[in-house]
Amino acid sequence: MTCEEFELAGLDLETMQEDDPVRSAAREHLRSCARCAALHENWQTLRADLQAVGAETQEAEAPARVEMRLRQEFRTRHKTVKARRAAVYAGWTLAAAAVVVAAVSWANWRHENGKGSTPSAVNSAQGVNMNKTTPAGPELGETIVAANDAGDFTLLPGSFPGMLEDATVVRVQMQRGALSALGLTVNEERAADLIQVDLLVGDDGQPQALRLPQTTN
Amino acid sequence: MHIEAQERDDVLLRRSAKGDEGAFTELYRRHQAPLYRFALRMSGNVWAAEEIVQDVFMTLIREPKKFDPQRGALRSFLFGITRNRVLKHLERVPRELLHEELDEDAIGQRGRAFEAMTPAEWAEVRERREQVRAAVLKLPVEFREAVVLCGLEELSYDEAARLLDCPVGTIRSRLHRGRALLLAKLEMLRDTPKRAGASR
Repeated sequence: MTCEEFELAGLDLETMQEDDPVRSAAREHLRSCARCAALHENWQTLRADLQAVGAETQEAEAPARVEMRLRQEFRTRHKTVKARRAAVYAGWTLAAAAVVVAAVSWANWRHENGKGSTPSAVNSAQGVNMNKTTPAGPELGETIVAANDAGDFTLLPGSFPGMLEDATVVRVQMQRGALSALGLTVNEERAADLIQVDLLVGDDGQPQALRLPQTTN
Repeated sequence: MHIEAQERDDVLLRRSAKGDEGAFTELYRRHQAPLYRFALRMSGNVWAAEEIVQDVFMTLIREPKKFDPQRGALRSFLFGITRNRVLKHLERVPRELLHEELDEDAIGQRGRAFEAMTPAEWAEVRERREQVRAAVLKLPVEFREAVVLCGLEELSYDEAARLLDCPVGTIRSRLHRGRALLLAKLEMLRDTPKRAGASR
């Protein structure tokens, strides 16, 4: 073995297998070369120094505060993700509920409308027939096609029964005093009362007749 | 949640990604020490090592899907991140050379090992260690990595090659160069007779 070969291979002399031919050759070279023997000795010293330096920090670990901070971060992150997920679920649930409510309302409206329009179509050609009313009457603000069945409607001054074809019934809330603007007589003492009134509104958008539902005094 | 001692890293990581804090803690405890030691020995700075390890595991919390079990073990993945962080740190602070104060445990251990020494001997040993440590920290990064892994952490060449993602021959030659530089820095070669025709 030459000195160059020893420098390359002899570094790991101590860790080589006993029966490794390189090891025996290196040992042989060491016996005959003072320089390589000195070099080898220096390597051994350096190895021991490195091991000692390594041993000083062999048990070194990250301080406990690192684990604490990481776990805190872990919790925060996963809590945030959970909260975000819950918000998304809640949003979708609300949206789905809104769609269901809208669908049911629409179906009901269609159903009610379908029932109401049949007599209307039949009766519309006959003008106003004031013999029948919708049992409960329309809700406040609700508009229905006039079924010409509002027997207790009072024609407003200047209106004629012929104008009530295709009129619609609109339930509104107003102060009793406002009736005077429609040409009706009002008890001044109760003029400030809020009352519900069913107005029969003609094609021109003008009220043609009205009635006071039973609940209104 | 119960954690099996030998539960595989990738299984733990999957559980951790789903929010299992126990799985994350187990992963951390399994891997933090060698990563911390590597960062400490490469940087020579306990604060930097602490920050680097924290950063590495933050990455694991934030982007667990970055780890692909098909490409290797979690240990190698974490080591790769640690190595990158260390290199970045060394670029930022290239002249940060000496270890800061070692923690109490390390000092205690060292004290017990040398309790039979006289104060003069102890001082000499301590000075020698400081010189070796400083010499390691002055090595170029690629040689320092090889020396830290094979010389200080005492990993085999194969293990070091796996962690550094390079051939074993590269590790061997880097280690050889690293040791030669260390010897030169420590002036151990001062009394070694020169080989005929060799230039140093």
